[in-house]
Amino acid sequence: MSVLLKLTNVAVYVGDTCLLEPISLELRQGQPLTILGQTGSGKSLLAQAIMGLLPDTLSFQGEVEVFGNVLSLEERQALWGRDLVMLPQEPWHALDPLMKGIYQVSEVYQYVQGKPNHEALARAKQDLDDVGLADSAHKRPGQLSGGMAQRLAISAATAGGANVILADEPTKGLDVSRRDGIVRLLQSRSIAGSLLTITHDVAIARQLGGTLLVMKQGRLVEQGDALEVLDNPQDSYTRELIAAEPKSWTEKPLSSVDTSAETVLLAENLAIKRGGRTLFEDLSFSIKKGEVVGVVGDSGCGKSSLGDALLSMLPVSAGNITRFNNTAKPYQWLKLYQDPPSAFTASVSLGTLLEDLVRLHNIPRERISPLMTRLNLPDAILQRNCLNVSGGELQRFAILRALLLDPVFLFADEPTSRLDPITAKDVTSLLVTLARETGCAVLMVSHDPDLVRKTCDQVIAL
Amino acid sequence: MKKTLRASQLVGLGLLIGLLAFSVLGMAFSPYSISQQDLNAVLDAPSSAHWLGTDHFGRSMLTRMAYAVGLSFALGVLCVVTSSLLGTALGVWAVWGGKRVDHVLGMMVNILLALPGLVVVLLFAAIVPGSFWILYLAISLVQWVEYFRVVRAITQNVIQSPARQSSEMMGFSRWYQFKRHIWPAIAPSVFTLAAFGGANAILTMASLGFVYVGIQPPLAELGLMTVELFPFYSDAPWLLAQPLVVIALMVFGFHLLAGKRV
Amino acid sequence: MKAMLLKRALQLVTVVWGVGTLTFVLMRSLPGDMAYRIAASRYGQDNVNSDAAALVRQELNLDQSAFVAYWHWLLDLLQFNLGHSLVSGLPVIDAIQHMLGHSLLLALSGLLISILIAVPIGLFCAWRGNPLDSVFMGLSSVIRATPVFVLGVLFILLFALHWNWFPVAGFGTPAHLVLPALTLALSLAAVSNRVVRDSAKQTFQAAFYQFSKVKGLSAWQTFKRHGARNIAVPVVAFFGIQLVSMIEGIVMIESLFSWPGIGHGLAHAIFARDIPVIQGAALVMGMLFVALNTLVDILCLWIDPRGAREA
Repeated sequence: MSVLLKLTNVAVYVGDTCLLEPISLELRQGQPLTILGQTGSGKSLLAQAIMGLLPDTLSFQGEVEVFGNVLSLEERQALWGRDLVMLPQEPWHALDPLMKGIYQVSEVYQYVQGKPNHEALARAKQDLDDVGLADSAHKRPGQLSGGMAQRLAISAATAGGANVILADEPTKGLDVSRRDGIVRLLQSRSIAGSLLTITHDVAIARQLGGTLLVMKQGRLVEQGDALEVLDNPQDSYTRELIAAEPKSWTEKPLSSVDTSAETVLLAENLAIKRGGRTLFEDLSFSIKKGEVVGVVGDSGCGKSSLGDALLSMLPVSAGNITRFNNTAKPYQWLKLYQDPPSAFTASVSLGTLLEDLVRLHNIPRERISPLMTRLNLPDAILQRNCLNVSGGELQRFAILRALLLDPVFLFADEPTSRLDPITAKDVTSLLVTLARETGCAVLMVSHDPDLVRKTCDQVIAL
Repeated sequence: MKKTLRASQLVGLGLLIGLLAFSVLGMAFSPYSISQQDLNAVLDAPSSAHWLGTDHFGRSMLTRMAYAVGLSFALGVLCVVTSSLLGTALGVWAVWGGKRVDHVLGMMVNILLALPGLVVVLLFAAIVPGSFWILYLAISLVQWVEYFRVVRAITQNVIQSPARQSSEMMGFSRWYQFKRHIWPAIAPSVFTLAAFGGANAILTMASLGFVYVGIQPPLAELGLMTVELFPFYSDAPWLLAQPLVVIALMVFGFHLLAGKRV
Repeated sequence: MKAMLLKRALQLVTVVWGVGTLTFVLMRSLPGDMAYRIAASRYGQDNVNSDAAALVRQELNLDQSAFVAYWHWLLDLLQFNLGHSLVSGLPVIDAIQHMLGHSLLLALSGLLISILIAVPIGLFCAWRGNPLDSVFMGLSSVIRATPVFVLGVLFILLFALHWNWFPVAGFGTPAHLVLPALTLALSLAAVSNRVVRDSAKQTFQAAFYQFSKVKGLSAWQTFKRHGARNIAVPVVAFFGIQLVSMIEGIVMIESLFSWPGIGHGLAHAIFARDIPVIQGAALVMGMLFVALNTLVDILCLWIDPRGAREA
C-alpha cells in the first residue's frame, strides 16, 4: 500500500496563536482516514492546509508530501482536479448558482481532461446518470435538494480524474437517510486512491472505517484503527464524543409518564398543505401533561409545520386541534427555535430581555437564580447579548425564559441540531428532565430517529 | 443607537457642523443683507469689508453664501425628517397592517416610482415657481419612497424572524416588538438613507436653481448663484468657486456621515 | 417574463396618467388670465387682443368645467395629441422627436463610456486589492459627492475655456458631444465601479469560485465560466437603479451644455411655462425611463434565469 499523502508536523497559526498544533499523518492507498472532532477543533484548517487553500491571514508550517514528493503550495495547486481534490462543506455554495448541473461536470472533462465538447457532455451525462441525477442534469443548484447537490458536487470534483479525495463534513445538513448514500458514493470514488474525511459525526467515522484521528481544539488526542478506537476509546474526550451520539444515550426510564395525567392537547385527523402539496393527513394523537412527544422525518415532511399548527401559527387544512387546559394563558404555549441566535434580538443584553419578561408578567425574581443554576447558566451571560454567548448557553437561556412562564406546552423545533453533539446531549436531557418535572408537555421535532427514540415517550413518524 | 461613529463619519459630521456654523454666524453678524447692492463695489475680491468679496451687483458674498447654505440645510433637514418619519411609519404599517394596506401603499409607491424623482420635482416646481415649500413638498414626496421600500423589506424579515415571533408568543406588545426587534434592525439603514437623503435634497434644490426653475432671484441659493456667477468666471473666479465648493462639501459631508452605501 | 412585462406596461400607463394629471393641475393653477398670458407669450405683448385670448381659451378648453376639461385632456393624451407649443406655436410632437434623438445619443454614449471606465477599474480593484483599490475608491467617493452640474462646470472651465480643446456648448460636431458625454459617464462610473468591484470581490471569494479551481480549472477558465456572469448579475440589476441618476443627469447636463435634448427642453419649457411642451417632454422622459427599465429587466432575466432579481 503506497503512501499517497504524508504530512509532517503540519501546523496553522494566526499571528502567534496556534490554531492547529503540529500533526503528522499518512494517507495510504485504499485505506481511508477520518478526522473526528467538534466544530472549532481545527479539522477544516487541516484540509485547507493540505490543499493550499488557507486564507492569507493564516500561516502554515510543516511539510506536505504527495505521491512521495515534498511539494510547495503552487505545486500542490497544480495537482487540483487531476490528482487531488477537496469536496466542499456546503455543496449549494460550492456550485455555480447560475450554471446548469451538467455543465459544471462537463467543463471539467473539457478543460481539465481536454476532451472535445460533445464528448465532455456525454461523459458528464453518464456521470450524472450513475449518481441518479439523470432527471436533474439541466437543473440549477438552487433547484436541487441538499443530497442531490452533494452528489453533483462529488461528480464534478472527481471528473478531473483525482482519486485522492478530501471531504470536509460531506454530510453536513443532510437527512440521516441520505447520509449513507453519500458516504458510499465517496467510498466508490476513492477506490483507486484514498479518502480523507473530516466529520463531527461518529456514525460516519464508523461507517468509513480505516484510520481514525480524534481532534480537540487543534490538538490530536487519539488515533488508531477506526473501529478499535470507537469500540475501545482511550481518551476521555473520545469517550465523551461517542457517548454524545444519540444512539449511545441511556434509554429513558420506562413509563415515566403518569397514565392518569390529564390530556393537554388532542389532535384529530390533522392534515396540512403547503404550496399545494399535502404534507401529511389523517394524523391523530394526544399529548398528556409532562409528556415528551417526538416527531421524526426527513426535511420537508412537515415536522415543523405540525408544531406551528399546534401553536395556531399555521392553519390546518383538515382536522381538529383541541386544547384542554382552559385556564392557560396564550403565552403559556411556547416554542423553542432551531437556531438559538436567530431567536433573540442582539440589540440588548440577555439580562435586559429577562428583565423585560419579568416586568411584563410580574414573575417573582427569586425564581430566576435557582433555575439558572439548574440550567448551568453563569450570571455573567446576562451582561452579554445573544451573539456573544455559545449556542448551547443560548438555547438553555431560551429554556429558562420559557420555564419562567410556566408553559403548559412547548414545541421544540430541532432545538439541538445546530449544537455540537456533546452540548446537544446536555441541552436535550435538561429540557426533557425539566419539562417532566414541571409538567409541561413537549413536542420535540428532530431529524435524528435515535435521539427521539431515546428521549421521548411517544414517537410520531412523518 | 449607542454605536460610535467611525472616523470618516466624524469628519463628515464636522464638515456639516462647520458649514452650519458658518451659515448661522454669517446670518447673525453680517452687516449686509442678501439684496443690498453696492454698484461701486462690483466683483470685488475678498477684503476686510467683504470677507468673501462681492458679486456682480456688489452684494456681499459672505451674506449671500450664509443664507444660501442656511436655506439648503433647512430644506435638507425638513425633507429628511418628513420623509424618514413618513417612510418608516408607512413601511412598518405595510407589513403589519395586513395585505390590503400593503397593496394600497404598494400602488402609491409604484405611481411615484414611475417617473424619475427629478422630473417629478421639476413638474411640481412648475406649478408654483420659486416656492421653497413646493420644493420641500415635492422632494419629500419623492424621498419617502426610499425609506418605505427599505423599511418594509427589513421589517418583513423581522416579522417572520423567530426572535420577534417568540416575543409575540410570550405576550409582548406591538410597541415592545417594534422597540426591541424592528427598530434596531431598521435604524442603521434609516440613518444611512437619511444622510443620503439630506445630500439629495440639497442637490435637487441646487439643480433646480441651476436650471433656473427653483428658488428665484434675488434670493440666494447655491445652484442659482452658480449660474449667476458663471459669466464672471475669468474676471472673478473666486466667486464662482464659492457655491461650487460649498455644494460639493455639503454633499460630501452627508456622504461621509452616511458611512456606507445603501 | 409575462409578469414583468405586465408590470412595466402598468408603469407606462401610470406615467401617462401621472404626467397628464400633473400638467393639467399645472395649467389650471396658473395665476391670472391664463388665456391672455399665453396669447401674450405667443403673439407678443403688443399684438394681444381679446380675440386672440378667446382663441387660446377655446383651444385649451379653458372655458370648460375642470372635470370636463380633465377628461378632454386625458383623451387627447391617449391619442398622443400633444398640441402646439405656446411659445413657438409649432407642434409639440415634432420638437419632441428632434429632442429625443439628441438625448438618446447623449445617454447611450455616456453609458457606453461609463461601462468602459467602471468595469475594468472595478475588476482591477477587486483583483489587485490595496493600495490601488483605496485610491480608486476614494476618488470615486469624491466624484460621487460632486454634483453632476458642478462636474460639468469644472469640465467647461478646464477643457473648453482654459485649454480650448472642446467647444463650450451646443451641438453639431462630434466634438460637441465629448464633454457632455464624459460628464455623464464619469458621474455614472463613479458609482457603478464600486458595484462592479464589490460584486467581483464577492464572487472571487465565493465557495463556488474556489471549488472551480479545486476541480482543476485554471484561473482564467474559472473567471470565464463562473466569474463573468455571476459578477454581472448585481451589476445589471444595479443599472436599473442607476437609470434614475442617468435621466436626472441628462436633465442637468443638457441644460448646462445647451444640448438640445429632452432635459434641456423640459427645463426651458418650465421656465417659459410652455405647458404642452412640459407635458410632452415629461411624457417622453417617463416613457424612456420605462423602456430602459424594461430593457434592464430583460437583460437581468437573460443573465440570471432564476428570475430572482431583487426589486
